[in-house]
Amino acid sequence: MTGQPKSGISRRQLLTMIGLSAGGTAMYQAMHSLGFAAESNYQGPIHLSAAPKGASVLVLGAGIAGLVAAYELRNAGYKVTVLEYNARAGGRNWTLRGGDRYTELGGETQECGFDPGLYINPGPWRLPYHHRGMLSYCKKLGVALEPFVQINYNAYVHSRKAFGGKPQRLRAVKADYNGHVAELLAKATQSHALDADVTADDRAILLDSLRFCGALDNNYRFVKGGASSDRRGYERDPGGGLTARPVFSEPVALSDLLKSGLWAALPFGEIYDMQTAMFQPVGGMGQVGQAFARELGPLIRYNAKVIDIHQDEAGVSATFEDLSAAASRQTVKADWCICTIPLSILGQIPMNVGAAMAQAIAAVPYCTGLKVGLQFKRRFWEQDEQIYGGITYTDLPIGQISYPSSHFFADGKGVLLGAYIWDMLNSMEFSSMTPAERVSKAVEYGSQIHAQYTREFDNGVAVAWHRVPSAMGCFGLWSEGSRAQHYDNLCAFDGRIVLAGEHASYLPAWQEGAVTSALDAIDRLQQRALGAGSHA
Amino acid sequence: MSTEKRRFAVGGFVFTLMALVFVSGAALLIASARADTVGILDSVPLSTTDGKQIYERICQGCHMADGKGAVGAGRYPALAKDLALSSRQYMALTILAGRRNMPAFGIRHAIAFEGPPMALNEAQIAAVINYVRTHFENHYKDSITAAEVAALDRTLK
Repeated sequence: MTGQPKSGISRRQLLTMIGLSAGGTAMYQAMHSLGFAAESNYQGPIHLSAAPKGASVLVLGAGIAGLVAAYELRNAGYKVTVLEYNARAGGRNWTLRGGDRYTELGGETQECGFDPGLYINPGPWRLPYHHRGMLSYCKKLGVALEPFVQINYNAYVHSRKAFGGKPQRLRAVKADYNGHVAELLAKATQSHALDADVTADDRAILLDSLRFCGALDNNYRFVKGGASSDRRGYERDPGGGLTARPVFSEPVALSDLLKSGLWAALPFGEIYDMQTAMFQPVGGMGQVGQAFARELGPLIRYNAKVIDIHQDEAGVSATFEDLSAAASRQTVKADWCICTIPLSILGQIPMNVGAAMAQAIAAVPYCTGLKVGLQFKRRFWEQDEQIYGGITYTDLPIGQISYPSSHFFADGKGVLLGAYIWDMLNSMEFSSMTPAERVSKAVEYGSQIHAQYTREFDNGVAVAWHRVPSAMGCFGLWSEGSRAQHYDNLCAFDGRIVLAGEHASYLPAWQEGAVTSALDAIDRLQQRALGAGSHA
Repeated sequence: MSTEKRRFAVGGFVFTLMALVFVSGAALLIASARADTVGILDSVPLSTTDGKQIYERICQGCHMADGKGAVGAGRYPALAKDLALSSRQYMALTILAGRRNMPAFGIRHAIAFEGPPMALNEAQIAAVINYVRTHFENHYKDSITAAEVAALDRTLK
């Protein structure tokens, strides 16, 4: 089934069907066409020719898409005005540090109590090496990058229902899975079960590769011994002197491993978006938004709540309330408008665009993602468990625990990501709690993985994206059906207005989607502006 | 496999495959092509049919504990004293099919993402409608049944 899905079948269900019925290649192709495994279409730095004399652009929203658009258009000579709801630039590009205050929808205010230098990125937090647009703007704007540890063989995979709820080291689960599968394949090869598919010449090579890649012994068995311990780790590590002799570890039995379900976490570090190397800005992802803000200076109008967008033959005007001045109302005019306001909010703002774009804006609900940052009195994950960065995956509602990729071995307190929840039921339930309850739940669940939580917990912050006043959602949740019906209409110019942002990309939730959609939009804007001859 | 899970499926063909998914967890890692949170997550569908519980676990994330909604760059509408709630059918259709930023909760309409779709069955939708229409300063006398929600769902494509 590769045709148009019926309504009610999710993209994931569709992929599942394709995967189960047609194998991996078909699945990859399908994932590609639906926007999952999509690569960035960043083509290198954009070179806009000079703007038509006097041409002006109104950019709505100072998130990554708006900032990129404003930066490039200003450089090309456009007169640029940016309107931003928040008192800071960056949008979902945001870092919470000690001393920051954050008030969510509903009025709950959190005071971040982290120690100096410690932070949490409530939104995006990592940059794949192939997100070249983001990486190039970091370089251009002087935002220092450091490695983001995505995959850590010494972190855990955990299921409440497997191994008595005891977390397993990723290293061991991965080695055991690979080893057992290699042994099975070796047996099948040796018993000539694969003769129809493997030539006699290739059989010996296949066996060699299985022994090497699966860490099998000389008899092609995955058993306790030097080969397997070299992958899964030792009962007692080799050392020097009289205590030098290693003690090998016992692999988990194949059946236990399969039933545990933990194998489902194995491919994460091998997924294109998560493959090493990954990077993070030194000091928090919010450094990117701040760097753009320094660059653009007074072009950004902060505390500006857009309440009306109107276009006619002469240009575009946006009316906004100045939240810093007792809600005084003002209007800004320009020849063109790049609107990056999240669809969750844009759908509520009067804007005279055609039915196609209006329907597209209304067709995209938003993900209910949520993060909790927890500060502990010491970096026990490093000191007690030798986990330096990386992620523990769990079937608990918190989804994962991610350990900081900076300040390794530091004394003093440490902050980790104590929950990163995308699952819709769990994230809605967490969003429905008060911030204090979310933090408390994250500590309670996390203590099932790290017993130290209870004693070492210091303080925490929780950001539920549906409660973020400037976003009202985590990112646009396209279905395969809505994308087929509305995506092109969402991205197409409507008169003098064009939309940009992660919602106008095939890289949902990734900042690279915002960058590439902005570059695509300003390129088309430039063509229109030049084609128009003289501006209004 | 529960009836609830079965209802996520559309047609016999899909049902069979979905059964495989839920029983074996074989597909859980597929959605992780973009997000790596879900691989081993075992999310279970919401089972309560208590309208208050459903409101407090799902709806108040946006509409708030007091039903008064909130205002930021945009707004979440208040349910307290909301005239739109005079139509129980309007409320049912909104919950079933979603409305702009509000996701669809109907079993045929909910988007699956990172775990099973966050869907409510007809009885759950009826329960939460009846709860909201008799709380938050709403005092509607009429109520809605699961059968009526199901009938309304059939009017949607």
